[in-house]
Amino acid sequence: MSKAGRFSLDRLGILWMIATLGISMFPQLLSMPVHLVPITLLPIAWRLLAEFRHWPPVPIILRIIATIIAVTALVMTFGGLMGRSAAVSLLVLMLSLKLLETFSVRDVRVVTSLSLFLCATQFLFSQGIMMIIYIIASLLSALISLMYAHRREAFEGLSEAPDTGRDLFTELSFGMRLMVLALPIGLTLFMLFPRWSSPLWGVPEDALDARSGLSDSMSPGSIQGLFMDDSPAFRATFQGSLPSRSDLYWRGPVFWDFDGTTWKAGYLIRNLLADSKPELKRAQFRYEIQMEPTEQRWLFTLDYPALVPTGTRLSMDYQLITNQPITQLRTYAMASDPGFRDNPDLKLPLLRAALELPQGFNPRTARMIAEWRAETPSDGAMIQRALAYFNQQNFHYTLNPPLLSRHTVDEFLFNTRQGFCEHYASAFTVMMRMAGIPARIVTGYQGGWYNNLGSYILVRQSDAHAWSEVWSKGTGWIRVDPTAAVAPERVEQGSVDSLAQRRHMLDFAWLLHARNTFDLLQRGWNNWVVAFDSVKQSRLFTNFGWGFFDSMKLVIAMIAGILVAAAASFLLMPLILKLRSSRHQDPLVRLWQKFNRKLGKAGFTTNPSMGPRELATMAGGQLKYADEGINRIAELYILCRYSPTDGDPAELAALIKGFHPPQQS
Amino acid sequence: MIDISLQKPTSATTSEDRLQQAVDTVNQIIMGKEQQVKLAFSCLLARGHLLIEDLPGVGKTTLAHALATVIGARYQRIQFTSDLLPADILGISIYRRDQEKFEFHPGPIFSELVLADEVNRATPKSQSALLEAMAEGQVTIEGETHILPKPFFVIATQNPLDLAGTFPLPDSQLDRFLLSISLGFPDPRIERELLTARDRASVLEDTPPSLHPEDVMQLNESCRQIHVSEALLDYVQALLAETRNSRWFESGLSPRAGIALLQCCKAFAFLEGRDFAIPEDVKAVFPALTRHRMTVPHGMEKSVEEQISGLMGQVAIP
Repeated sequence: MSKAGRFSLDRLGILWMIATLGISMFPQLLSMPVHLVPITLLPIAWRLLAEFRHWPPVPIILRIIATIIAVTALVMTFGGLMGRSAAVSLLVLMLSLKLLETFSVRDVRVVTSLSLFLCATQFLFSQGIMMIIYIIASLLSALISLMYAHRREAFEGLSEAPDTGRDLFTELSFGMRLMVLALPIGLTLFMLFPRWSSPLWGVPEDALDARSGLSDSMSPGSIQGLFMDDSPAFRATFQGSLPSRSDLYWRGPVFWDFDGTTWKAGYLIRNLLADSKPELKRAQFRYEIQMEPTEQRWLFTLDYPALVPTGTRLSMDYQLITNQPITQLRTYAMASDPGFRDNPDLKLPLLRAALELPQGFNPRTARMIAEWRAETPSDGAMIQRALAYFNQQNFHYTLNPPLLSRHTVDEFLFNTRQGFCEHYASAFTVMMRMAGIPARIVTGYQGGWYNNLGSYILVRQSDAHAWSEVWSKGTGWIRVDPTAAVAPERVEQGSVDSLAQRRHMLDFAWLLHARNTFDLLQRGWNNWVVAFDSVKQSRLFTNFGWGFFDSMKLVIAMIAGILVAAAASFLLMPLILKLRSSRHQDPLVRLWQKFNRKLGKAGFTTNPSMGPRELATMAGGQLKYADEGINRIAELYILCRYSPTDGDPAELAALIKGFHPPQQS
Repeated sequence: MIDISLQKPTSATTSEDRLQQAVDTVNQIIMGKEQQVKLAFSCLLARGHLLIEDLPGVGKTTLAHALATVIGARYQRIQFTSDLLPADILGISIYRRDQEKFEFHPGPIFSELVLADEVNRATPKSQSALLEAMAEGQVTIEGETHILPKPFFVIATQNPLDLAGTFPLPDSQLDRFLLSISLGFPDPRIERELLTARDRASVLEDTPPSLHPEDVMQLNESCRQIHVSEALLDYVQALLAETRNSRWFESGLSPRAGIALLQCCKAFAFLEGRDFAIPEDVKAVFPALTRHRMTVPHGMEKSVEEQISGLMGQVAIP
């Protein structure tokens, strides 16, 4: 703080530092409590004004008061300083307050480095390709700010810094050169940095709370948000034939229990393991899925999964459930056999669970089904009748259905008749159970976007879907999609495309192409950067024949490597610098340096500030036996270098070559 | 005030030889101070004025006297005191009743060599009278300009310790002095010789001049012809640039000081009998040229001399 008056920082450096801070804290500002935002912006505004109006620094007392106010506001907002949001807000606030006492280059360094740290915390929330743009922006800004600040420091004391480097382009290009130099180190660290199968620092459980995805329960209306969300859910790359679009039912959570409004999985059923699973050799589709993190435990597969990846189990209703929530990008190979027969025999408790309905709900539907059942005793006919009902009555497929209250199925079937997959699946399943046909709800995704550039299917959150399965003895569970009865185009084209208002927007060929390209990039980023986990790393090591490296050995190897590199640079750097600075254009000077080196070997250390005659006197005093030779060389060098009547450099070269003082033992 | 009567210079063939003889003679009088004597002669040959900063009794006056003697110059000594008036230096116009007009009586400054003793004891007014005369080479009194003789060489002395009742010379005026030297105490061996040998003053009286003032003018010219190589210029510039680094001094050497450095350096090389300058010449004159021009930054516990040698140790010879 005492430096305030003494050190004038480069104003451009300060401005770029503020820009870095602004870029880094922007996403945080959006998620911070609103009343903390002005407190955060105030110091920044002050610093900007102070730069332009040359205000003096804020007194220390005021700075302490401002800090106390900020911390108090934080504590009052969050009830403490623990927790992710509070911690990030604290970092943002303190960084902003740091601007009040940014006096030295060191302070600039602290602020820009912490800004970058703040940026990096964003990776806890998202690891998508868009993050690169954000990171690059703040990185460039930080680079420029540091360049300005350090250039000022390097030339401190000189009346003025050299003209070069005053403009942005020079700073940037020099900074980029340094970055390029650092790139190999960065890449090496990226490849070699030890990776555990789970992240080193615990990503908080709620880290991805804002992410949309299928949940472990369904009450009509809960999927609605998904339809507008075009973010990717997963990508599937098929080997061999692609399934037809109407076969693309990606199986997720399966729901059995209905309490009148909400469908749930039921703890027991989810934990029952499948009795039998499809044989791999009969699997018709083989594909690899790269799945975005969901914070949930379902892996999505086509019916029916023939592979069970490690760390997962296959439940009795063929959900693939992982042991740990999926917090990072996950890739798994999968094979599916659509012809598999799902539980042709159902145990009694399960049968009961598939028929159970809450008492006192949906009386009108119950009456109607009772009437139908009297007319159509066959289960198959019953199913067809229900589907026909949806088709022939005036039902609409819409993403904005009216709200439903207590008797959700009654109201939907007889009053509103507007809804999307959830409503149809829920109503249909209830109708089936009323008719005594075992039925359950399956949620997941339907369809996908075929990316012909990368030959894979992109499934987005907006492809979320819900459908029904009914059971009959002998055939087992069979998929019935009531939504297809109402809006077949939903299944044919995908939910978003089936809505008139957004259709034509997506019809532009270039937009389609751009979307495909962008998603391809995103997949590449996922494949090469985000998904570079411990498995890929060890695979890489195996390729190089270093397969024996595990995480622990890697840590030791890295620490050793860093130590060796540090030692080497400490020892070698002075040598390299010496060599570089001593490499002189003038051959005469190079001769003289050679002579100096010879003297050095003989035990006389020369100093670059010594004049030739001075050196000769001192060296001659120390190396008495060589006194005469040294003097002759020095005098000849003086003649060659300083006299107008040139001495003979060749003679000097010969003299120096012939100069062999005894080596010091 | 002492007036030395002109004596014929001894007969040596060339002015270079006579210069060498003059240097030797001074060295016989001021014993054991070869470097300072050489610097004093360099200053003379570079047409600059010399400042000697030292304690009383170490031979400042003797050096000035000896120089005056060997170059055969008319020599005046002005003892600066606090009541010294400009007219005491420059001269005065007196009304002559019989001729009914003013007549200018030249002051002691109208000599080829002036010793301004204890220059910091006089008032700034008197100091500046001297220093202006040094800079201009002429004196203007009551609208009339009087040209000073050529060569014109001022040796000023200062006592650096006894500062009570003194008026230290401002930096701008110190810049008028080309070099500043200090003699320091003699070696024990030399001191023994001083104690046993004849009185210096009487030695001086018997000393014949080696040079003629015209010789000095000619030698000045010769000094200008000394060759300076590009490499040496690089070194001079590196030194100048380093003085401007704030870790050494409050402010760096001016370009004028740089020119002065090069002139002194040529004169020094000439005295060494070379027709080209080498880095050792620069290093020899650099401290004398720098020490009265520089101040150490506040709060740095170093003397100017320490800073100068530190600086020279940092600048590599290109």
